Amino acid sequence: MDELLLIEKLKQGDEAAFRQIVESWQNMVYNTAIGILQNAEDAEDVAQEVFVQVFESVRSFKAEAKFSTWLYRITVSKALDHLRKKKRKKRFAYIQSIFGPNNETVIDKPDFNHPGVTLDNKERATMLFSAIARLPENQKIAFTLHKLEGLSYQEISDIMKTSVSSVESLMHRAKNNLKRLLTGDYERN
Amino acid sequence: MKNKQQIQQEVEKTLNSLDNIQRAEANPYLFTRIKAALQKEEKSVWALAIGFMGRPVVALATIFLILMINMAVFFTVKSQPADEDQQLYANEYFSNTTVSDYENATNE
Repeated sequence: MDELLLIEKLKQGDEAAFRQIVESWQNMVYNTAIGILQNAEDAEDVAQEVFVQVFESVRSFKAEAKFSTWLYRITVSKALDHLRKKKRKKRFAYIQSIFGPNNETVIDKPDFNHPGVTLDNKERATMLFSAIARLPENQKIAFTLHKLEGLSYQEISDIMKTSVSSVESLMHRAKNNLKRLLTGDYERN
Repeated sequence: MKNKQQIQQEVEKTLNSLDNIQRAEANPYLFTRIKAALQKEEKSVWALAIGFMGRPVVALATIFLILMINMAVFFTVKSQPADEDQQLYANEYFSNTTVSDYENATNE
């Protein structure tokens, strides 16, 4: 079914149209979320939240931007919210561990293995994801969208509502930071 | 111990390790989960109430109503003459006779 027609039907609350939209876009949403969150369970939760929001706010979607751009924006926004919430919880738990009676240490998350990475690249990809997790938010988003979703700088600039030159700059800084972080990781190992 | 050149080569390979990556696939039951979440939201009375009260028009109207009630009560009370109890209270604590009696009272 034509995408615009699907969206019109979804605006009327058509369940079949909604199902088709979910099935068409769920992998894109999930893959983007897992790239940012580096956790399968969290990515599933975020994917669910994204489509719930799509259903609830599709009436406000004007066809000025592509549907995929709108969907990516919601996904990135939800994933970042989730990430910030987790960081706050971690910080609070750490402070509690200092002052609490048990003095439990905060458990570090295990290394992330992306299911789509080829076998011969698994170890290197794990190290790369560890470094990506330490990038500033905007660099992380740009790098993830480019590498995991194969988006062009133009598409990324539409999603991030910024200029192509800003995306180029973000990617350049991201790569430099990743080189620095990975060099440090390899030297330590 | 790896030398710098070896490390740089490893770094470059690592940066390229996501080339040809396949998309991760979502849970095939995701749509079922989404439907359940939407139905849960529909049933939640609190969510409905909060959603209704959260609308700016409703919130502003409620605040306006409360203010109007407060003002009505204020002006109504102000316009009423003091009743007997209030008069006694005023006499007991604010009349000159009471103050001078205290001043002239002797210890018994």
